[in-house]
Amino acid sequence: MFKELYQYRELLKTNVKKEIRGKYKGSFLGVLWSFINPLLMTLIYAIVFPFVLKNTQEHYVTFLIIGILPWNWFTLNIIQGTTTFLSNAGIIKKVYFPREILPISVVTSGLINFLISCIIIALFLIFSGIGFSGYIVYLPLIILAQYILMLAIIFLTSSINVYIRDAEYIINFIIQMLFYATPILYSTDLFPEKIAGLLKINPMVTIIECYRDVLFYHNQPHLKSLLIVILTSLILLLINYRIFRRLEKGFAEEV
Amino acid sequence: MAQSSLAIKVENVTKKFKLFYDKPSTLKERLVFWNKKKADEHVVLDDISMEIQKGETVALIGVNGSGKSTLLKMMTKIIYPNKGKITTYGKLTSLLELGAGFHPDFTGRENIYFNASIFGLTKSEIDARLNRIIEFSELGEFIDSPVRTYSSGMYMRLAFSVAINVDADILLIDEILAVGDQHFQEKCYAKLQELKKSGKTIVIVSHSLNSVKKLCDRAVWIHEGRVRRDGNSTDVIEEYMKVCG
Repeated sequence: MFKELYQYRELLKTNVKKEIRGKYKGSFLGVLWSFINPLLMTLIYAIVFPFVLKNTQEHYVTFLIIGILPWNWFTLNIIQGTTTFLSNAGIIKKVYFPREILPISVVTSGLINFLISCIIIALFLIFSGIGFSGYIVYLPLIILAQYILMLAIIFLTSSINVYIRDAEYIINFIIQMLFYATPILYSTDLFPEKIAGLLKINPMVTIIECYRDVLFYHNQPHLKSLLIVILTSLILLLINYRIFRRLEKGFAEEV
Repeated sequence: MAQSSLAIKVENVTKKFKLFYDKPSTLKERLVFWNKKKADEHVVLDDISMEIQKGETVALIGVNGSGKSTLLKMMTKIIYPNKGKITTYGKLTSLLELGAGFHPDFTGRENIYFNASIFGLTKSEIDARLNRIIEFSELGEFIDSPVRTYSSGMYMRLAFSVAINVDADILLIDEILAVGDQHFQEKCYAKLQELKKSGKTIVIVSHSLNSVKKLCDRAVWIHEGRVRRDGNSTDVIEEYMKVCG
């Protein structure tokens, strides 16, 4: 598999480029939209939520943006990734290439987008006076965890969606639900120990908490939880990849 | 071993398509019609075997629906046989449709990179071929305009130029040679002759029998999912014309 992926590396590269640039081609602000969108979202939550919740969180906007940007990467990619084989039906039917390229390029384009949007996080950290700490060295590990997790999810959902088109709607709903079950607008301290533990079944909880620890609270992230997330994601990736290999043989006939 | 001179080996391949009258693709349909899922099966290819040697130029002929395109698709690994096995030796490129992966908003030059990368070329390999591709397409200054501004003839010319310059060991071509005007078609056939001379294996599906007869040495006549005749292209095409023409 890796040998073939390496041979097709140029396809991966151009496909990532196409995902990033092609999406906004023709619009006036172009790629900037992928940064304006989460900023506007943050603005809405920052205005609305202090009214709804009794909010005692200091630097709430910075707190929000550190949660929203990784979440934004997560949702956009899962939704886009789930339909990737269907939206590329034209080439799947007509040309042979390793199909793995499609999910991988979705997540990779999302990763690049996220890395660029880290500049926004950095600006907020500087102007809010929070600044940086040495714990930032853990950041690549957290990003890696999210990358593997998303790849694992997308290999499964995109393959299933070829055969059962309902998958994308079900997944849209689940993701909307997860948004409220993940500490993006709030922090997990709000909950009693038991419920917080229950929430942690969702690996994105650990990942968002780690981002916050490293960037916002200047704490050592909970390494044990993070390693568990990475390990389970890797196992999931392996299983889901095998399912994908099984299902991919029928793609050209089903899309 | 004779294995080393083989390009494509097709062993007892059977391919069936399910014919759904109303294909269930949503969950509701699957649940509601779960007991109605008895689809008719249509056997497209029935226990076909053939061997194609390196350097051979083979035409697959037959009436519409005889399974020749399906066979070609299985050789490229786009679809897979239900029974049997297909093995290919060497780098393979298939030209089933021109312009796969073209993005209308990108320029011709950018699309050359997209399209060629789908065929598995690396950046440096594309760089090396870029001038040859542009020259072959005869697009001139239009190469830097977005592809959506192209006429359909220009579009096809660009797509064919990329595909023909990929330099694979095995070329699979499906009905795409009716490209552009007379002048460009002749140029395409001349290019294929040149590739043939340089020892490439070419498998071509076509209905333009006269051009195929000139290009190919061997023809395989597929009829209702089986090989009806396999041999010298002039003889096979002559007989085919007598029966079907």
